[in-house]
Amino acid sequence: MKSRPKLLWLQGVTCNGNTHSFLNYPHLSYILETFEFLYHPLLPATYTLEEIASCTQQCDILIFEGAYDPRMMRAGARMETLVQHYGSSATTIIAAGSCASFGGMFKQSDPEYITGLGFDREIAKGPFAKSPKLINLSGCPIHPEWLGYTLRMIADNKVILIDEMHRPKELYAYLAHHGCTRNEYFEWKVDADQFGTKEGCLFYKQGCRGPMTHASCNKILWNDVSSKTRTGSPCFGCTEPDFPRTNMFETKTNMSIPQDVPLGISKRSYLTLTGIAKSFRIPRLEKRLIDDNT
Amino acid sequence: MTIRKWIERIEGEASVQFEFEKNHVSFATIAFPHSRGMEAILQSKPAMDALVITPRVCGICGHSHLFAAVRAIESVYANCGAPVEISQKAESIRELTLTLELIQNHLKWLYLVIYPELSHLLQEKIADSCRLKGAYAASLATKILAIFAGQWPHSSYMIPGGVTCDPTHVDSIRAEGLLDELIRWFEKELIGITLDEYSHFSSDKAFLTVTGDMEKIEKMLKKAKMHEQGFSYDRYLAMGEHAFSKSSKWVNRRMAKVHSKFVTLEEPYSIGEKTYAKNALYQHNSFETGPLARAMIKGVPFIKQMYRQYQDSTYTRVMARSYEAALLLEHCKKLLHSINLEEPSYIKPLKKITALSGEGIGIVEAPRGSLIHSVILKNGIIDHYRLITPTQWNLSCGSPKTPGPAQKAMIGADSIETATFTFRSFDVCSVCTTH
Repeated sequence: MKSRPKLLWLQGVTCNGNTHSFLNYPHLSYILETFEFLYHPLLPATYTLEEIASCTQQCDILIFEGAYDPRMMRAGARMETLVQHYGSSATTIIAAGSCASFGGMFKQSDPEYITGLGFDREIAKGPFAKSPKLINLSGCPIHPEWLGYTLRMIADNKVILIDEMHRPKELYAYLAHHGCTRNEYFEWKVDADQFGTKEGCLFYKQGCRGPMTHASCNKILWNDVSSKTRTGSPCFGCTEPDFPRTNMFETKTNMSIPQDVPLGISKRSYLTLTGIAKSFRIPRLEKRLIDDNT
Repeated sequence: MTIRKWIERIEGEASVQFEFEKNHVSFATIAFPHSRGMEAILQSKPAMDALVITPRVCGICGHSHLFAAVRAIESVYANCGAPVEISQKAESIRELTLTLELIQNHLKWLYLVIYPELSHLLQEKIADSCRLKGAYAASLATKILAIFAGQWPHSSYMIPGGVTCDPTHVDSIRAEGLLDELIRWFEKELIGITLDEYSHFSSDKAFLTVTGDMEKIEKMLKKAKMHEQGFSYDRYLAMGEHAFSKSSKWVNRRMAKVHSKFVTLEEPYSIGEKTYAKNALYQHNSFETGPLARAMIKGVPFIKQMYRQYQDSTYTRVMARSYEAALLLEHCKKLLHSINLEEPSYIKPLKKITALSGEGIGIVEAPRGSLIHSVILKNGIIDHYRLITPTQWNLSCGSPKTPGPAQKAMIGADSIETATFTFRSFDVCSVCTTH
């Protein structure tokens, strides 16, 4: 039998959300057949954590979940030692989730010491800064299909194109805005005046970061069925280096104009278009989508 | 003789030091070595951000944290004389998605922890694919949850005043279809009889009709003599108000009312090992919380019958959690049918959150038991946030005179392996314990 690539799932400062998100992956049996799991926090694996902590094995793929704190101890081993040992033998290092990619939520636990594996927010820093082996799969948590895609690309020896933040382009060239069911409301600048409705765009008041966030959440749906914006929650921009921001349910505005405009669009173009779009009154978009009177 | 062991697969790790006397565990201390300082992260943030931050306390029960956080903020509104109105629909959807989180938790625990650990303990091999069954069933539960909450883990769809989603019948029919599929899976793989028959068991004799994995697990539990060990305080606590659970305590076979003012946090006992877990106590006493406590308080006939025979043994504890999954599936079915989609999802609170100053408390029943969030807001900004998680009750580390529930349950075990299994019967969550 051909030996399978050895995969190690290691945890830094984490909530285990990426572990649990990946358990939703519909093709887990393919993954377990294709890779040998040296260690995983829940799935069947060859070694115990204590055995892994003794640094006597080597892996081909290192999946790291959680923020990186060099001083942290796992089963008696220092994180810096663990990451250096397993990272040096690995041909691919996958930062699973935003904490591992950029520091994320748990950078706030100790901002001075905690970073991602190769980035500290958007600055290249950490044990694998600028390493060509590093793939960031940001998101809080990681999307199971995104990790499934990455592992299958590796198994098939296919080249994964990455952006300047080391994220696979096929997953992160899209914005969370793409495929949002509220797009028409965005086009015609019809905002949702409150939460709890399927109508209206959440970009103007409710803090939605969809047009500025690299993520394919509305293309590759969550749990195969939905997404935040499809269920009326704003996108919090959880795949971006600046996640978590503050005041996440509110859009920052200056003189009632959103402070941040859609990615790559100049403020002037945005304002011009908005001015025109707002000058029209479109009764269809102001009514409920499903109107029982017609 | 003292032996230290790392216990893993508990949403992180714990270090347990077992003391042995005459080949039996005479005492054990529990230390949780990691902490992320969630309460400090919440400090000075706008109140609504708690709905994004607190789900990140835990990857497996983050939805329970979201529910506790929204209840805590709504309680500040109420304490400020501006109670928030919530539609029955929003209440039902919240309860539905919480219930689904409990179900995914219990099924993962059963297939990824309990079944493999029993097989290890008894040296009876089970296929790796068996563990994936639990992940598959859990993913069906989270799929239904995501229809309403957008995603699982880490949704923030509960907000003061209701929920953000506005489902149509297309959504609820899809959810019903998936729930049917999950129930069929449960009947075929786990119990071999109908959910309706199973969830109405009134005596433990009825269990003889059960086939499927549950029959195997039950036999293995007995073979490992789990009905003869793992006894704890026989004191139970459930504080969250839900249709599936009653807020009460059960001591000396009597029920009594509970109030959060009697909950205290105390420093853990330690023998020179750093631990970040504070002990949660009620009137300075240890209480067991979680599915067994909920079943005792609610009076679930099948579990009460089992309790009469095997008391609060590891066996009863494991069976209570497994059985709760069935009751919760029934509950989901009822909830889904009862939701009136014509009602509003969200009723805007009358008072602006930035004008809100005061205290609030939110309590829910999470997979592992009672979860308490308390908050103090000043002009809508978090001035103080305190989390008390279920594992802080069950896994509290007391001195030899006052051991916590899991510590007490491990005393008398004849090996580290059996003691560890009893430890796991509490469904330990390391990340929640220290947060």
